[in-house]
Amino acid sequence: MSNSFNFSNFSRQSSKGVLVIYINLIYNLIKFTWFLLFLIIKDFTKLSNSLGANYIYLGVAFILIFLLIRAYLVYKNFQFKIENEYFILKQGILKKTNTAIPFHRIQNINFKQNIIQQIIGVFEVSIETAGSSATEIAIKALSLSKASALKELISKSSILDKEVNIDHESKPFVKIGFFELFKVSLTENHLQNLFLFFAIIIGFFQQLQQIDYSFGEIRFFDDLIEEGTNVLTTSIFLLSILLFTLIIMALISSFVKVFLIHFNLTAYLKEDAFEVNQGLFTKKSIVLKKQKIQNITISTNPLKRLIGISFITFKQAVSGKLNQKKDKLIRIVGCKAAQIEVVKKSLFDATELESKQKFFPDNYYKRKIFIISFLILVILYLILYKISNSVEILYSIILVFPIVVFLIHKKIKKRYYKISDSMLLVGRGLLETHITYLEIFKVQNIKMKQNVFQQRSNVADLILQTASGKIKIPCVNFKDAVKIYNHTLYKVETSNTSWM
Amino acid sequence: MTTFKNDLVLNLPDITKIEFKKIVKSYLKVIIINFFLFFIPLFTGLILLHKLVFHEGIKIYIILIYALFLLLFGCIFLYLILSFPKRKYALREKDISYKSGLFIKKITTVPFSRIQHVEIDEKPTLRLFGLASLSVYTAGDSSDDLVIKGVTKEIALQIKEYISTKINE
Repeated sequence: MSNSFNFSNFSRQSSKGVLVIYINLIYNLIKFTWFLLFLIIKDFTKLSNSLGANYIYLGVAFILIFLLIRAYLVYKNFQFKIENEYFILKQGILKKTNTAIPFHRIQNINFKQNIIQQIIGVFEVSIETAGSSATEIAIKALSLSKASALKELISKSSILDKEVNIDHESKPFVKIGFFELFKVSLTENHLQNLFLFFAIIIGFFQQLQQIDYSFGEIRFFDDLIEEGTNVLTTSIFLLSILLFTLIIMALISSFVKVFLIHFNLTAYLKEDAFEVNQGLFTKKSIVLKKQKIQNITISTNPLKRLIGISFITFKQAVSGKLNQKKDKLIRIVGCKAAQIEVVKKSLFDATELESKQKFFPDNYYKRKIFIISFLILVILYLILYKISNSVEILYSIILVFPIVVFLIHKKIKKRYYKISDSMLLVGRGLLETHITYLEIFKVQNIKMKQNVFQQRSNVADLILQTASGKIKIPCVNFKDAVKIYNHTLYKVETSNTSWM
Repeated sequence: MTTFKNDLVLNLPDITKIEFKKIVKSYLKVIIINFFLFFIPLFTGLILLHKLVFHEGIKIYIILIYALFLLLFGCIFLYLILSFPKRKYALREKDISYKSGLFIKKITTVPFSRIQHVEIDEKPTLRLFGLASLSVYTAGDSSDDLVIKGVTKEIALQIKEYISTKINE
């Protein structure tokens, strides 16, 4: 199959790539200027009266044609070939760039398809390299056969193993259908999704307001908000409607989020890798090499536990700042207990770990959380009292107090760790439960912290830094902390296994 | 309450038992210079604000403002001086450790086998005393890796050399 394509000379993407690049350019333009567009559309009649509608249409047409030419030039100048085990890429219209990546540096080759690429039937191929984040290459449009041929050619002569090749004949070990995904979204953390939704909405409004300020017309949104608050204070009926809409919105935002990301999720288990395919508009196919996985976290919440599902988060090694690389977090939702066992067994041997005793943080941890949350509560109530000037507000303590105590109790109960010779397990969570599994030799460096109060109680915090982020074990008895510290260093320094 | 078992190796090398070396004394001078480089512009800023900007309403409290300002920086200065002897580092055969902190004690250890690269940098104030700071980077988010500020340049180079040979082993 690989012989049907010749990569030794420079070749371009599929000619459909022009369309993909074109739409991508338009999309980016809209993304950066949407508030301007919003204003133009809002006052379109006013503007067209003063400027003349024809000029506006002409301007739009000019921009669209300019982008089309640009897209064509980008396509024309984007060339790649393979030579001496190097992947060579030439790109750039005015500023020409030449990139050469040796095969052995290539970690992953991923296929991706957004909605346009799906319609015209091409794949986006991204080439991931180890280490430096700058050399990540995306070829926007290749036909499936050419993309697979390229992948095969590179995999053949590199550390990318044969098993990584896509082989859809084998049976997936996780396959989430429509109904199961429905169940997953029903049991999501709606509160969190609602906050996320509101953050987006508030951001949106703030941006609008800022622009309105600059145009000297503040009234509209302020009036709207003021009106809303007035009505709110007077009518309980409206309050319940608001509550109802909030619940509906929370549900909808959960559904949208889950269906967008995880639609048609299938996961395959290969000899040394997982392959995960998911996504509604943007289909993603990710090959996760087991060796690259730094740690996994199994999470569930009370609702999910009721129907016996949880989700697994795989964390890969990242370079640079963590939050910029959200896409390196790979999640498989809606796993049953048996499927989790399969994943765990294929990655490491945790049998010894499971039988170990749970260690909870020292009582100091409990005291600390109680004291801090009550201080916050007291301050909050003082502020509330100052603002409202009514004693009635203090009655709500009867309701709030037990909830806070209950939550703190939950938090403390879920904070524990287990340690065996080669593995570490850390549990945490408030309403959700997260259990992280870490092979000790994958630790990058270790830190111990002890403040004055902790010194008096003879406890210390341990922070294990892995290539995919920190894992914290708070308030461990000092003697145990030192033992874990020493043991971790011993494990890291005596291991010959590569951590990545 | 808790008993941690480790059956395989009974006597692991203990991090609390190793001997830590102190930072070079002259680094204290660098700390003091840096402190004043930070403090003097802020203080002149405050004086300028007092003379040019503040209106009568604020000027009633001017002594209080100066007192608070000096108290804050006095505390910072005192903390810097008192915490100086707590800055220590240690090299072992397979790892490097650094500890510091007066109120919050911190100790970090990086095994040589996980080091990605080592960096020596000499800021102008450091160069004044022939000192350097040594940073060790591991994979992942490197913002929190190990930095030893204030070793002589000679020793910094030696440590770097030592680590390089150890990594290549």
